[in-house]
Amino acid sequence: MISRNSKSFSLSCRVNGSELEREIPSSRSLLDFIREDLGLKGTKEGCGEGECGACMVLVDGLAVNSCLMMAVQLQGKELVTIEGIKGKDGGLHSLQKTFLAEGAVQCGFCTPGLIIASEALLRRKPDATLEDIKLELTGNLCRCTGYEKVLSAVEKARRK
Amino acid sequence: MKLCEFIRPATLAQARASLRKLGPKGMPLAGGTALHFMPGKTPVSAVDLTGLALSYIRQKGNFFEIGAATPLSDIQRYRSPRWAMHEICRRISTHQIRNVSTIGGNICRVFPWADLPVVLLAMNARMVIYSGKAKEMGADEYFSSQPARLFRNGDLLTAVKIPVLKAQHGFGSVKATRNAAAFSMVTIAALLELKDGRIAAARVAAGSAIPFPKRLRSVEAALLGKEPSSETFRAAAALAGTDAKWCKQEGMSAEYVAGLAEVSIVDALERAAEFARGRTA
Ligand SMILES: Cc1cc2nc3c(=O)[nH]c(=O)nc-3n(C[C@H](O)[C@H](O)[C@H](O)COP(=O)(O)OP(=O)(O)OC[C@H]3O[C@@H](n4cnc5c(N)ncnc54)[C@H](O)[C@@H]3O)c2cc1C
Ligand code: FES
Ligand code: FES
Repeated sequence: MISRNSKSFSLSCRVNGSELEREIPSSRSLLDFIREDLGLKGTKEGCGEGECGACMVLVDGLAVNSCLMMAVQLQGKELVTIEGIKGKDGGLHSLQKTFLAEGAVQCGFCTPGLIIASEALLRRKPDATLEDIKLELTGNLCRCTGYEKVLSAVEKARRK
Repeated sequence: MKLCEFIRPATLAQARASLRKLGPKGMPLAGGTALHFMPGKTPVSAVDLTGLALSYIRQKGNFFEIGAATPLSDIQRYRSPRWAMHEICRRISTHQIRNVSTIGGNICRVFPWADLPVVLLAMNARMVIYSGKAKEMGADEYFSSQPARLFRNGDLLTAVKIPVLKAQHGFGSVKATRNAAAFSMVTIAALLELKDGRIAAARVAAGSAIPFPKRLRSVEAALLGKEPSSETFRAAAALAGTDAKWCKQEGMSAEYVAGLAEVSIVDALERAAEFARGRTA
């Protein structure tokens, strides 16, 4: 929703590898900007208050909850959404492959957030232990899988 | 809270000037993760503090100096032999929130669940405030009531100075939660100074289960001159009710919270003593 008394802001940033310049209302949340303005619907809204992790994206390589950030905070930064997560050959990323192979996806609502959080961890710590993976995924709620398959999917992706 | 404007000053002086000009319509913005905790229908003009080189951790003399806009994840990852701040930071919310939330945001407007004020009170930290020039304020004065009072006229927190622990010092903190990322039910932090096998000085602070973080002065007094044993810690913790009126919380009676607080005080003191012994050995 655009607040009537909100001044616009000239945002310039990178989104999934491309430069982007856009006038946006200062009141825009990063999540609304991604879903409504950019039309990138892979990023989900669950709780809207930093509890579930469905809205996770990478900003300058760090996983963040887009529901808790304002779009203006992206100024000069690099955003990667789930649509920007790809394998080196442009196909599925190793995490996406292992999530499929392990049956770590059921309804799929939490999956973009889980892939983003796992990708942030494996970039930072390619040899992450199971304990590291559990700690990193504390901010991602999944109501379907029971987490075991998610954990083994991330462990398997680590070895690839 | 909604934003109606986003201002990106290049210097601290510009940030302060903008805030002074904006008056009550202006708000310093660090990570911005507290925006949705702050009710308020009138949109505010946010003055961004993240481009002012306030994100750093360095050891300078007898202090570790942490820039006010340093994210909690950086504090969690920092290591040094006499450093204990990572312990509490890894217990604050989730990794993704710690990537954005800053130490300044946690202590300039203290929410009931804030953990860092408790630790900074116990550690006797010093806050550096910019009001055209830098001035320092000790933790006791800074946390004597809501610190937001100090920032209404455009002044800004620029750094937090944490005393480097000496060989005879020990620090311990305990955060009791229902699950790994939950808000605290009670947070306790304790700093002990040992001399000739006895407690020469103690600072013990509590938060979350009381209206505002504070030191537990009766507990501290009961520790002085004693041997750092479990009996000493239990006897001192039993006095916590003199200092703090424990509040009931969701699913927990006030009596339960008082019991939980006592156990947590003993645990924090045990950890502090262990830490000190490790250093003196
Ligand atoms: C879901 C969730 C769970 C959380 N759980 C916990 C928890 O268990 N324990 C805990 O301690 N914290 C917790 N937090 C973090 C805490 O509630 C705040 O959101 C966070 O500390 C704010 O940091 P920030 O950098 O985002 O500050 P901001 O949101 O940018 O600012 C917060 C306030 O501080 C002011 N401010 C910021 N920096 C300065 C400065 N340098 N000078 C003057 N004023 C300043 C702002 O004007 C604002 O009033 C949680 C947050 C979320 C979203
Ligand atoms: S929608 Fe952002 S954490 Fe739930
Ligand atoms: S697969 Fe349904 S919530 Fe995780």
